Amino acid sequence: MRNLDFLKMTISELAPKIRNKEISPGEQTEAALTEADRLQPKLNSLITLLHEQAMAQARESETALSRGDYRGPLHGIPIGLKDNLATAGITTTVGSKVLANHVPDEDAEVVIRCRDAGAIFIGKENLEEFAAGATSNNPHYGAVHNPGGVDRVPGGSRGGGGANVASGVTFASLGTDLGGSVRLPGTFCGVVGLKQTYGRVSQRGLMVTSFNGDHIGPMTRSVADSALLLQVLAGNDPLDPSSVPVPVPDYSSYLGKGLKGLKMGVPSNHFFDLLDEEVEAAVRGSVAALEELGAELLEVSLPAMEYIGAMRISAMADGVVTHEQFLKNHREAYGPDVLYRTIPGQFVLGKDYSKSLKVQRMIQEEYLRVMHQVDFLVTPTAPVPAPRIDATHVNINGEDHRVRGPGSGFISRNTSPLNAVGLPAISVPCGVNHAGLPIGVQFITAPFEEGLLFQVADSYVKTSPSQRLRPEVSV
Amino acid sequence: MSIQNETLKAMIRDYDGLELSDEELELVRTELETYFGELAKLESVDLSDMFSGRLTRLPEPDRS
Repeated sequence: MRNLDFLKMTISELAPKIRNKEISPGEQTEAALTEADRLQPKLNSLITLLHEQAMAQARESETALSRGDYRGPLHGIPIGLKDNLATAGITTTVGSKVLANHVPDEDAEVVIRCRDAGAIFIGKENLEEFAAGATSNNPHYGAVHNPGGVDRVPGGSRGGGGANVASGVTFASLGTDLGGSVRLPGTFCGVVGLKQTYGRVSQRGLMVTSFNGDHIGPMTRSVADSALLLQVLAGNDPLDPSSVPVPVPDYSSYLGKGLKGLKMGVPSNHFFDLLDEEVEAAVRGSVAALEELGAELLEVSLPAMEYIGAMRISAMADGVVTHEQFLKNHREAYGPDVLYRTIPGQFVLGKDYSKSLKVQRMIQEEYLRVMHQVDFLVTPTAPVPAPRIDATHVNINGEDHRVRGPGSGFISRNTSPLNAVGLPAISVPCGVNHAGLPIGVQFITAPFEEGLLFQVADSYVKTSPSQRLRPEVSV
Repeated sequence: MSIQNETLKAMIRDYDGLELSDEELELVRTELETYFGELAKLESVDLSDMFSGRLTRLPEPDRS
């Protein structure tokens, strides 16, 4: 049997081997596809596997290398794409039955950028129906399973990406984050999830999304890889009015800079209010480790977070507008979780929608004031480790909280506020609970300060108890 | 705030053409109650001095 240890490497480790022709893109793409086939019955992490297209890309990649055309660190690297990112000529379902046969004419901008950088697309990854939920328990394509415990959810909505990156099927995954859909699978699967500043990366080609607050971001096995991916994805797209023309720095130059002289804010309210005990202990441990690395600890207060639930009002209205085009004629094609969460959105009054936008502005201003006091914030990413796949609720301090369907939102309570305010945030592993399930810590910086985010996260992960922990999936 | 089941059913039927069972209606109501709960919290907040942060900028030339 061949040694396939390279499938567990990071992009930063693998890229030099490809450049030096120690490993060929064809060899590793074939290995990644074989691993995907082997794990698919266990993880159900892909909706469409792209055997032929991926091998054709790998051959092109090898030809380019042989003529000296090395396109950078993503050259020849197998990655996955969440199945709500448009891919020309390839079915893009958005995890729905409604769009089960939808084949876009054009690639999403981020797909174009990754292809131009030499990445190889292994497949379209399974997700929550219409990317609307935090469990990836899809009623049409089946539940995605967490490689760290196959009876557990991988988080959502982008569970397929988290499962693939953690288990060694892909080296990175490209997905979307409307309320935590990159960072939650990051924390539940024990990998790195980035949601950069709103406007930093083009959303063009992101399908069936909200009008307010979605982001496309990478999931990777290391902070350095996250920086490499953002380097490829970031930059103005004149065809996307939400993208912002600000300079893109060299993100890798921030790695290894350390934390001395930086001020670290720990919120005194909201983020630590409703937590599993082991999650709290792990994140408090991260704060202590960051202090030892030289960061100065300051407690900060975010009183406007009392009203963060108002974002749900605008999300409900945005949701029903998004689904209006499908709902009337395809009701039978909807799963219950999305259907019964979407219908009530039509009852949101205009005055309440307007109020929720004002609350969003108020909370944004508060975060910006806080980011003048500190360089970065530290919070738990999710309040609990990965719930069981069949769970409808989790219990914290004797109180039940819904994790899926109507009335849910508990799992994303620490991630979704950053979508509302647009600040960059990254989740990195910070430990495991008694059952070996990963726990994540979230770092947040000021707008367009992703470089600082990588600096902080990179310094931390070198001391994290999760360093180099990888789940082994038995098949 | 409370809406009678029959009123809610009729509104959904008129707006969406969807006939919901009582069981389905309870699921819709769960989400609606979340909305009402969040609204109630906003009664105490003064939003009168909040201004829009919307930016307007000229379109940029096509990269091609």
